[in-house]
Amino acid sequence: MATKSVWSDNRFWQRTAAWVTGFASVLLIWLTFDTSAQISMGTDADLQNGVTKRVPGPTVINYKVTYEMNKKRQHEIPVIGGMNAEGTSAFQEKENFFGRDNWSEEEAGALLHLGKLASQTKNCMNCHTLLGNGAYYAPDLTKAWLDPAWGPEGSMQAMTGKETKEEAMAEFLQNPSQYPTHARMMPNLGITAEEAKGLVAFLKHLSSIDTNGFPRNFGKIQGAVNGK
Amino acid sequence: MNAMFEPFVDVVPSFFATLSQGPMTLTIFLHTVIILPMFWIYKQEKARLEKEGN
Repeated sequence: MATKSVWSDNRFWQRTAAWVTGFASVLLIWLTFDTSAQISMGTDADLQNGVTKRVPGPTVINYKVTYEMNKKRQHEIPVIGGMNAEGTSAFQEKENFFGRDNWSEEEAGALLHLGKLASQTKNCMNCHTLLGNGAYYAPDLTKAWLDPAWGPEGSMQAMTGKETKEEAMAEFLQNPSQYPTHARMMPNLGITAEEAKGLVAFLKHLSSIDTNGFPRNFGKIQGAVNGK
Repeated sequence: MNAMFEPFVDVVPSFFATLSQGPMTLTIFLHTVIILPMFWIYKQEKARLEKEGN
């Protein structure tokens, strides 16, 4: 019968700490690789072959993107090219983006790249939130493309007097201070027509990313699924 | 029943998706990798202390 308790024995705690630290390290390294695989961007071939990726390829701008409630997952998911019987992306329905729905992978990639650089140069995140990063001074832009306000019956599209969502967004981005939005109006940032086009492509791609229903309350806005 | 066993709903089935299904899966996982090995280490250390006559 031991007189010294195991609980007050140094070696017991050392071995426990070594095991937990070692195992956690292995787990975190594994998680890093698992995450990189899941957040890597898809390709045009994925979209054509109906492969669902969390981050679709740049040619997603050729497709119709909607936000639909998924009963199984209990939140809205971006649905690309219409919905199939399982309630996920069918990759069938196309949609014109600035007059055409045949943007090649290179063209779409270049446009998205321009939009990404413009979003960084103009420091969108100083006021807006993109994928959880940024500020909440101005509206969250993670799902901006899916906001019905920019749709055919939306107030934003009507305000700019444009025919399509992308043209309305591009017009607003070039002259934000001309359009009264809310109390905190967006300042004019000197965004060119080409940059605006890139930014809209960037926003459309951003909205097509499966973010597990984030931001949570987005679907509750007027006109959306389960909306007011 | 409904809350205890959630269907697997993540986009890509992965080990980490299993862990984030709910509190139960995480609890079972952490008990398996921390608490159970601690029992084992405890028994070894107890045997060692007895052998050394402490």
